[in-house]
Amino acid sequence: MSTRINIGPVHPSTHGVLRLVVDVDGDTVKNVEPHIGFLHRGVEKLVETRMYMQCPPYMEKLDYVAPLSYDEAYVATVEAALGIEVKERAQYVRLIELELQRIASHLFFLGALCNDMGQMFTMFMWVFEDRDRVLELLQEATGQRMFYVNMRLGGVTMDLPPDFGENCMKLLSHLEKRIGEYQRYLEKNPVFMERTKGIGVLSAEDAKSLGVAGPVLRASGISYDVRKAKPYYVYEKLNFHVAVEHGCDNFARYRIRIMELRESIRLIRDALKKMPDGDALGASIKLIGPPAKNKIVTVSRELPRGECMMYMVSDPQRPYRLSIRSPCFVNLAALNHIAKGERLADLFSIMGSLDLVMACVDR
Amino acid sequence: MDRNIDRKSQEFLNAKQEMDKLVMDSLKSENKPNAMFAKLSDLVKAIPVSSKLVKWSRRNSLWPLQFGLACCAIELMDFGAARIDAERKGYLLFRATPRQCDVMLVAGWVTKSMVPEVKRLYEQMTEPRHVIAFGECATCGGPWWESYNIVRGIDQVLPVDVYVAGCPPRPENLFAALMKLQDKLGGKIEV
Repeated sequence: MSTRINIGPVHPSTHGVLRLVVDVDGDTVKNVEPHIGFLHRGVEKLVETRMYMQCPPYMEKLDYVAPLSYDEAYVATVEAALGIEVKERAQYVRLIELELQRIASHLFFLGALCNDMGQMFTMFMWVFEDRDRVLELLQEATGQRMFYVNMRLGGVTMDLPPDFGENCMKLLSHLEKRIGEYQRYLEKNPVFMERTKGIGVLSAEDAKSLGVAGPVLRASGISYDVRKAKPYYVYEKLNFHVAVEHGCDNFARYRIRIMELRESIRLIRDALKKMPDGDALGASIKLIGPPAKNKIVTVSRELPRGECMMYMVSDPQRPYRLSIRSPCFVNLAALNHIAKGERLADLFSIMGSLDLVMACVDR
Repeated sequence: MDRNIDRKSQEFLNAKQEMDKLVMDSLKSENKPNAMFAKLSDLVKAIPVSSKLVKWSRRNSLWPLQFGLACCAIELMDFGAARIDAERKGYLLFRATPRQCDVMLVAGWVTKSMVPEVKRLYEQMTEPRHVIAFGECATCGGPWWESYNIVRGIDQVLPVDVYVAGCPPRPENLFAALMKLQDKLGGKIEV
C-alpha cells in the first residue's frame, strides 16, 4: 500500500521552486520523483544571441548563492577559446575571490540545512550575519553586493583595494572562530545529530555510478576535486587538502562543508601571502580579437556545489553553442536513490544536505 | 460597516455591556475561551473598516509570504535575518502558508509554468492583500525579457502595489518599499 503525496512547487524547504511527487508507505519514502523546470528561462539559448562579454551576468544568475564562480567558469571558457593566458596577479585575485565566494556559499548552506531540519533559526541568523561580512569584503573588491561580474578576459575588472589584505585577514580570523562555534553548537545538539547521523546514506559505488558532484561525492569517501585533479590558476602552488569524509550520510555532507570552509580560509591566507605585485586588469575582447570559428572548448571548474563543465562552440561574433553541465542537476538526480527507505521528514534534511539551487538545475 | 466609531452610541454600549456580562459568565462556565472569542469578534465587527484603528493595525503587522523564486529570494532572506531585522518595523515573520499572509513579495523571474501557481497563492491570501514586485525580473522581465518562457513583469498577472528596481535590490531597498506600502495603507499615528 502506498500513498502519493505532492510537495511543492512552492514549499519552504524546496530551495526554490521544485515539485516532488513522493510515494510513501506509512511515513517511509518509497519513491521520489522530482519535477523540474519551474525556473527554466533558456539561458543556453539566450546567450547565443548575446556577444561574448554580455554573457557573464546571465551566467551569474545560474547559481545565485555563488555567482562569481559561474562568472569565472564562463570567462575561462572564452579565454580557452581565444587561447589567452591570465596574468599572474589576476590569477591570485580570482582565486581569492572564488574562495571567498565558496565561504559565503557554504555558510548559506549551513543556515539552509538547519532551516530544513525544522526551524533551528539561530543558525540561520548567525550565518547570515557572517555571510554579510564576506559579501561586504567582496563588495569592497568588486563594487557589487551580489552579482559581481568582476572577470575580464585575461584578468579582472577591478584589482583588490590597497587595504584588502588587512581586512581579509581580520575577517578570516573572525570566521575561523565562528566556524568552531557553529561546530560546537551543531554537534552538541542532539536534534541535529539524530537527524543527520546515519540518515541518507549514499555509498561510494552508488555515488560513482550516479555521477554526483562536489561535496556530495567527497562525503561518500571519494577524493575528487577539480582543484587538485586538474589544477587551474595557482591552486597547485598553494597549500590545501581535499576534504574527504567516509561517513556517506547527511552528517558527512555537513562535515565536508565545515572542512572546506577551513580549507578555503587556508587557501586565501596562503594566496594573500604569495600574491605578487603588478597588473591584474583584463582587456576588452575588441583589443584581443575574436575567437576562431567552430572551435570547441571544454572547461571544468570546481564550484561550491561541485564540478561544473562548460562546453562551447565558438564563433567570431557570439557563442555559437554553450552547454552547461550543472552540479546541482546531477545531485538532484541522486535524490531518489538516497531518500528511498528513509522517513518522509528526513527527505528535507537530505535535500538540504545536497545543497540544491534550482536555477542551476533548470537553467 | 463603513461608519465612524461612536463610543457613546447605544449599540456600542450594549455590545460592551454584553461583552462584560459574557466574560463574567464564561469565567464561571466550562467552555471559557470559545464564548469569549465569539463575542469579541462581534465587538470587533462594530469597528468600521475605514477607521484609523484598523488602518493602524494593518500597517503595523504586515505578514509577508515565504515565497522565493530566484536570486532576489536570497536578499529577501537577508532582509529577514539579523542584520536588517525586518521585525522592528512591523513586518513579522515570513509565513509559509498564504492564508496567514497579506504581502506577497515576488522575488525572481516568473516563468510561464509558474504563473498558475503564483495566481493560486495570491488568491489564497487573505484580503486585503498586497503585491511587491521585487527586482528587475518581477518588474519587467529583467535580463530574460527576450526569453521564450518568461512573463515580462508580474504586473501582467497580478495587481502590483510597489515596484523595486535593482538586480537584485539591496535589502535596504526592500525596507524602503515596505515603508512605501505602509504609507499607502495610511493610518500613521504621529507620536
